[in-house]
Amino acid sequence: MTIWTMMAKMSEGLGRTCAIFFLTLLFSLPLGLLVALLRMSKNRVVSGITKAYISVLRGTPLMLQLLAVTYGPFYLFGASVAREKLVPVVIAFSLNYAAYFAEIYRGGIESMSLGQYEAAEVLGYSRLQCFMRIILPQVIKRILPSVTNEIVTLVKDTSMAFTVAYQEMFTIGKQIANSQTSFLPFVIAGVFYFVFNAAVGWVMGRAEKRLSYYR
Amino acid sequence: MKKTVALLLALILALTASLALADTFKMGIDAEYPPFSYLDENGEYAGFDVEMCKAVCEMNGWDLEIVPVNWDTKLISLDNMEHDCIWSGMTLLDSMKEAGYVLSFAYYDNTQVVLTKADSGIATLADLAGKRVAVQLGTSGEALLGDEEGQLALAKTFEGGAPVTMENFTVCGTELAAGGVDAVVVDLPVAQNLAEKFGGMVILEETLGSEQYGICFRNGDDELCAKVQEGILKLVEDGTYLALAQKYGLDENVLCLLYNKAE
Repeated sequence: MTIWTMMAKMSEGLGRTCAIFFLTLLFSLPLGLLVALLRMSKNRVVSGITKAYISVLRGTPLMLQLLAVTYGPFYLFGASVAREKLVPVVIAFSLNYAAYFAEIYRGGIESMSLGQYEAAEVLGYSRLQCFMRIILPQVIKRILPSVTNEIVTLVKDTSMAFTVAYQEMFTIGKQIANSQTSFLPFVIAGVFYFVFNAAVGWVMGRAEKRLSYYR
Repeated sequence: MKKTVALLLALILALTASLALADTFKMGIDAEYPPFSYLDENGEYAGFDVEMCKAVCEMNGWDLEIVPVNWDTKLISLDNMEHDCIWSGMTLLDSMKEAGYVLSFAYYDNTQVVLTKADSGIATLADLAGKRVAVQLGTSGEALLGDEEGQLALAKTFEGGAPVTMENFTVCGTELAAGGVDAVVVDLPVAQNLAEKFGGMVILEETLGSEQYGICFRNGDDELCAKVQEGILKLVEDGTYLALAQKYGLDENVLCLLYNKAE
């Protein structure tokens, strides 16, 4: 098998890798914000539950969460397993990444001075208006580098979907490595991830630049 | 000062020399492959292959170290000296010989079979057309389904034109039991094991082909291979081979070293 055949084969799985990546971001970024707000709630029950959610999802391996979401319903209730694994994979990834994003959001939100809330109140802003128009835009600017960190990790974590037999790019690479007794597919996979992350870095760099007004 | 340094150096030399002298035999296994190699109820490695290896090591005065390996990268870790052999229900493949590995004689006849649910309506290989079929990555079943001279033509009739590869047999079995796939291509003893564990499963009478289990050593380790083979033959003679096979519920008909002895 030539290197080009290997690359072509692995590219077939790249679409599935991208599907995990984009769908996870789509769901986990808003979910993370929600979790962060609940975590900061004055209601002790609400903040306690979200605190527990974050500590469980950050404290256990993503691989176990993938297995739990995919096969948990079968072992607990005898429910049948989905044939298309994208749904359980995206659920597990989104739940996991939301926990990390929540703590990043919280750090950003808590770094805002209370004086801003007071000033907004004096100017007649409602609490929601104040948060959406004044606080959140500043928070996003501030947390962007930490978010980029997580996104870069997400690109590489997609390879873990193999645990539940989701045939993404790295799985195909392993199959080829195996049948050809060759290390080359792993090198190709490394290049794929690196290029993907270079693109992520470029996009996030531009976003940071565009948000660097007032500086 | 110089004396102490010299003494220390001598000590280190002596230590490394003694380490090199105490022969350790590192056995590479798939730790999730009952009844050949697995963790038993007491958390110890057990199985037909593990006990055979133990006996061979005892005979040669080697210390046995069991190294669980990643089955899909087993040849890489073998080359990397992480273990001295792969001995874990491993199918002897021509491709390994071509790649320069030293292979032992066969010690077990294996058959690739199709495991499916009793109520699946699948009775023959032809019924697998359009069905979702799973196989473990790095197993001979996977190789067979991708080989033009093997069962590639059959694999092309599956849903998606290829089998779905999975990480281990537990996932394969769970997927089958939970309806994620319609069938699993797997070695006969493992199929029997899964069928017993999950229940409600049957093995198709039509098989995918037979093959043989053996041991794989690094390129150039012919001497080590010969020593191990010698040990195994002794175990065949003194009846340990048969006794262990019975202990682990293996069929006598597949113990090729018993009926090949005359040759």
